[in-house]
Amino acid sequence: MPGKQVFTLDLNGRETEVFAPADATLLDVLRDNCALRAAKRGCNQGVCGACTVMIDDVPVRACLTMAGACGGRAIRTLEGYGDDPVMGRLQEAMNASGGVQCGFCTSGLLITARNLLAESPRPAQAEIRSALSGNLCRCTGYVRIVEAIASAAEEVAR
Amino acid sequence: MSFVLSPRTVEEAVGLLAELPDALPMSGGASLVAMKNARLIEASHFVSLAGIASLHGITATDTGLRIGGMTRHAQLAACDLLTGDLSMLRQAAGQIANRVVRNMGTIGGAVGNADPAADYLAVLACGDAHVELTGTEGSRLVAMTDYVTDWYETLREPGEIVTAIHLPAARPVPSVYRKLCRVPGDYATASVACASDGDGVRVAVGACGHGPIRSREAEAALRGNLRDPVAIAAFGAALADLADPVDDVRGTSEFRLRLIPRMVAAAISDLEGKR
Amino acid sequence: MNAEFDPSVGTAVGRSTPKLENREKVTGRAEYIDDLYRPNMLHAAILGSPFAHARILSYDVSEALAAPGVVGVITGDDVPAGRMGAFIKDEHALAKGKVLYLGEPVAAVAAETLEQARAAVNLIRVEYLELPAVLSPEAGLAPDAPILHEALADYIKVFDAGSTGNLCSRTELTEGDVDAAWAGCAVIVEGEFTTQAQAHVAMEPCGALAEMDAQGRVTLWSANQSVFRVQANVCESLQLPMSRLRSLTPRVGGGFGNKMEAHIQPLTVALAMKTGRPVKCVLTREEDFEIVRARHPFRIRMKTGADAEGRLIARECEVLLDCGAFADDSPGVMGYALLMSGGPYRIPNQRATGKLVYTNKLRFGAYRGFGNPQVSFASEQQIDEIARKLSLDPIEMRRRNLLQPGDGWFVGPKVASNGLSACLDAVEKASAWGRKPDAKPGTRRAKGIALSAHISGLLGTGAIVRMLEDGTISLNTGATDIGQGSDTALAQICAETLKVPVEMVSVASPDTDGSPYNWGTTASRVTYTTGRAVAGAAGEVLRQAMGHAAEMLDVPVEDLELREGGRIAIRGSNTDLPFAAISGRAHWAKGGPIVGSHTLVFDEPTHDPKRAIALGLPFPRIGVFSFAATVVDVEIDEVTGQARVTEAWSAVDVGRAINPRLVDVQIEGGFIQGMGFALYEEMVWDGPKLANPSLLDYKVPTSADSPHVHSIIVEDPEPSGPFGAKGAGEIGLNPVPAAIANAVGAALGGVSHDLPLTAERLLPRIIEAEHAA
Repeated sequence: MPGKQVFTLDLNGRETEVFAPADATLLDVLRDNCALRAAKRGCNQGVCGACTVMIDDVPVRACLTMAGACGGRAIRTLEGYGDDPVMGRLQEAMNASGGVQCGFCTSGLLITARNLLAESPRPAQAEIRSALSGNLCRCTGYVRIVEAIASAAEEVAR
Repeated sequence: MSFVLSPRTVEEAVGLLAELPDALPMSGGASLVAMKNARLIEASHFVSLAGIASLHGITATDTGLRIGGMTRHAQLAACDLLTGDLSMLRQAAGQIANRVVRNMGTIGGAVGNADPAADYLAVLACGDAHVELTGTEGSRLVAMTDYVTDWYETLREPGEIVTAIHLPAARPVPSVYRKLCRVPGDYATASVACASDGDGVRVAVGACGHGPIRSREAEAALRGNLRDPVAIAAFGAALADLADPVDDVRGTSEFRLRLIPRMVAAAISDLEGKR
Repeated sequence: MNAEFDPSVGTAVGRSTPKLENREKVTGRAEYIDDLYRPNMLHAAILGSPFAHARILSYDVSEALAAPGVVGVITGDDVPAGRMGAFIKDEHALAKGKVLYLGEPVAAVAAETLEQARAAVNLIRVEYLELPAVLSPEAGLAPDAPILHEALADYIKVFDAGSTGNLCSRTELTEGDVDAAWAGCAVIVEGEFTTQAQAHVAMEPCGALAEMDAQGRVTLWSANQSVFRVQANVCESLQLPMSRLRSLTPRVGGGFGNKMEAHIQPLTVALAMKTGRPVKCVLTREEDFEIVRARHPFRIRMKTGADAEGRLIARECEVLLDCGAFADDSPGVMGYALLMSGGPYRIPNQRATGKLVYTNKLRFGAYRGFGNPQVSFASEQQIDEIARKLSLDPIEMRRRNLLQPGDGWFVGPKVASNGLSACLDAVEKASAWGRKPDAKPGTRRAKGIALSAHISGLLGTGAIVRMLEDGTISLNTGATDIGQGSDTALAQICAETLKVPVEMVSVASPDTDGSPYNWGTTASRVTYTTGRAVAGAAGEVLRQAMGHAAEMLDVPVEDLELREGGRIAIRGSNTDLPFAAISGRAHWAKGGPIVGSHTLVFDEPTHDPKRAIALGLPFPRIGVFSFAATVVDVEIDEVTGQARVTEAWSAVDVGRAINPRLVDVQIEGGFIQGMGFALYEEMVWDGPKLANPSLLDYKVPTSADSPHVHSIIVEDPEPSGPFGAKGAGEIGLNPVPAAIANAVGAALGGVSHDLPLTAERLLPRIIEAEHAA
């Protein structure tokens, strides 16, 4: 098919080959070709944060990342955190706190939160609120999400 | 259908852009890919600048600082070299979008795109920055105050890329970036960059015209009168006179004209507080 | 207090049980509409109208059909003439004959890939005759206005709408003698208020996936708030028997009214029927802004009078609503807004009238609050205005007028539980109301308060509870959980009734083939109405189980009791039977499997003709009442005029919190959505075109500008509610714009007439205050 090409991606620790349109974004490839659908398409403009993933240990928007610019870079999506105890704490805290409502923002938000805890193990409430400002949630009003991240951070630090 | 090309050198990149008339340079992609997704742009190729080592990093030069075009907003927001009258650049970088997007977007991309409401232009105009543009013919430096020529139009020629921003060395005097936006991370409704300069100030206003607004005449008139509210009001009014804001979803032209003197006065007052 | 109410935490009710589906959400495994794929599935793209108002003269789809990957194209010529609508049936599956707003779907393409479908829609040629557009309700009422719906008189209407010309409906409610009452008022305030269009911005854009089987029966998955309203709308517009359409739901990524009535389900079904293949259509964020629905812009004229002690005597409210191109839920929104226009106060003389006018914009419709935030914005500011004139504290002013337990509501609904006074006390104390906040240099700062009431109820619902062979429980209600946690709360009600742990209850996903009817997840109703059905159905299961146990233990039923863990025991004895034994007998030996079902329709009348006159009331039976009080602390920047909420306290009387944490989140989430509406959210039109249909240009609150919200649950049990519960979904939003406006009024003086309270709107008031000082 014209305009398609093979991308070789380092995806959740596994070398993965996909055949996709040349101008596919990383989000397109994850969702359509790799059946990795934790990252959601909320706006396709980089604003909502629902598609946040890690590339080379830095959180980025999958919708603003061209698949063709991902060669040789380590991509990690929420599905790739099964063995990460810090992510496990965050997931458990989100479950218990009421920070999960419709869940559409949750995957991207967890990636951002996981990165925050890597950078700042015991973030203050204001720091959490600032770090999450690019992950929109329309359901919760953020109170329980902030609480969940603070409590997970406490547990991890302990 | 756009293909992504990943050159390793600036020469290779500008060569590709010259060779492929429908190609576009892509730095962080934060704005470019968003525009592609919204079908606002089409390109045969995106020439990614990410893999070009010389575009990365902030280095001290004989005259000051050279900020590589691929320097991310997040790096600038955390850059220890941006002190004194350059701290406004650090402040501005830290207010762009949000932390995740700041990991993607670059100063070269932002300056290349020249969105009038984006955060860097006013700061760079205020900071006497120069834009380093590179094409197949080589590099040239353009003063930021001259760089933007019209709405989304600049002195950058097609095929040229923003390889670096040059700034004079930081001086140990205060500077401030003030921004009004509807929510954190929004584009500015209006912004003001203000740096102390002896007994005067340098000031540039953003988001109130096609490019940053700065008046050396008005700055000269204000020199020595920084504690005189009448002089400050006259200075703000002079900048408002130079402004040409539009009505948009962030505010009306009238509101922006009203904001300029108030934000300018507040920024000058911020500096007084930091002395 | 209801004597039967047990305030202690039960087996399940009253516990903050984490939501049943949370684990799939925190691991990214929850499947929303865009995560669903079917074998051989096609992707759809929509062609929107370039005009706000035009006649469609012809279509040419030949080029699109010949494009690579294209399997089918539909236009208005391909859909039947059926019309759908909750109150007035005025809307086709796809534009037919005319387009009524810019962006309205006029054609759609199904292709092998999304890119192919999107490329092909641009190849469809449509010839239009452009007509003058109506862009405001005022323009729509002008004598020579172009008419949107020429056949309006012939449309099916489910109430006395009084439709004529571009007037979609009108409603008039009167109680007491308003005109005579003004003479007795010591203080009268009057003003005009406008509110803006707000976009729902559920994080998940709308979408649908439809598939037709060999028998011609269609299965439809979609982002929805009611699988049954989806079924009804699709079948009405496509003229299908309802038995030919099965409507299902995946997880739903938030809904605030936008997913209640149809969006693109009808056209997706039409494409699936045309192509014979599964078709998925998911809107882009831009399309979601442009073609779904939004909160109504209101123009409100309000007049309120009180005696010298601040006791309210009369209230007059006149509203003009922009309906948009289709009626959708608009008549209901207007009728409800008028019903709530007096607020939760004793006002003996009230008149509320409204007009709803068709315009060439996207439809306005249901949005959390349903007209209440708009009228509250006017009403609660006038309460403050009167308080200021009489030098009364705003809380004292409200205390003198509170609707009291036993009082009825405007035009007649009965109010049973009423925890309003407790809500007011709670926020007064929690916010330290009497203490003036300190303003930082360069800012003005003040607190503001507003009260609200909201119904929960409306229409039909049902539940089926089955005891499985092993004694565990299956619950099936047909209520779509949109993330707010109704599956969990309903499971808790079921578990409590049967005294089993909530883990023993499975909740079936709504399915029009197998679930009992449920009007929808709307009107703050699921916990209250569906909860009643669940309690009834579980009670029926218990009755049957008791019958079995009585036979098995050979004792009269009266000697039996239900014990924790799902056991039926002989009173005062250790002899008991687990549900497993009882259900095993029922399945295999005697009596047949245990199934309990219960259905109900809310049937308390809205209007008491002895009390009031009501014309064009769209809801003959409405619901029970929840109450709320909200205090905000607002800081305003003197340089720019930008206001921000630094802290908020919100107390809500929910009767009984089935799951307190989920109630907290409704209060907090509602607050922040109301704050966005109050401060900056606004859909802006440039002529007929929406100027900001993207999240870059339309801003919603972020974690960084949202304050900490203190949620306070007040429990005044509702006698008719399940375990005393009533609704909590919308009320937290209602008072927020008013409370913020009242704080702004306290900080800057004056009344805020127009929403949102942007920096641009507040700066002139600061400059005025500077000049005055």
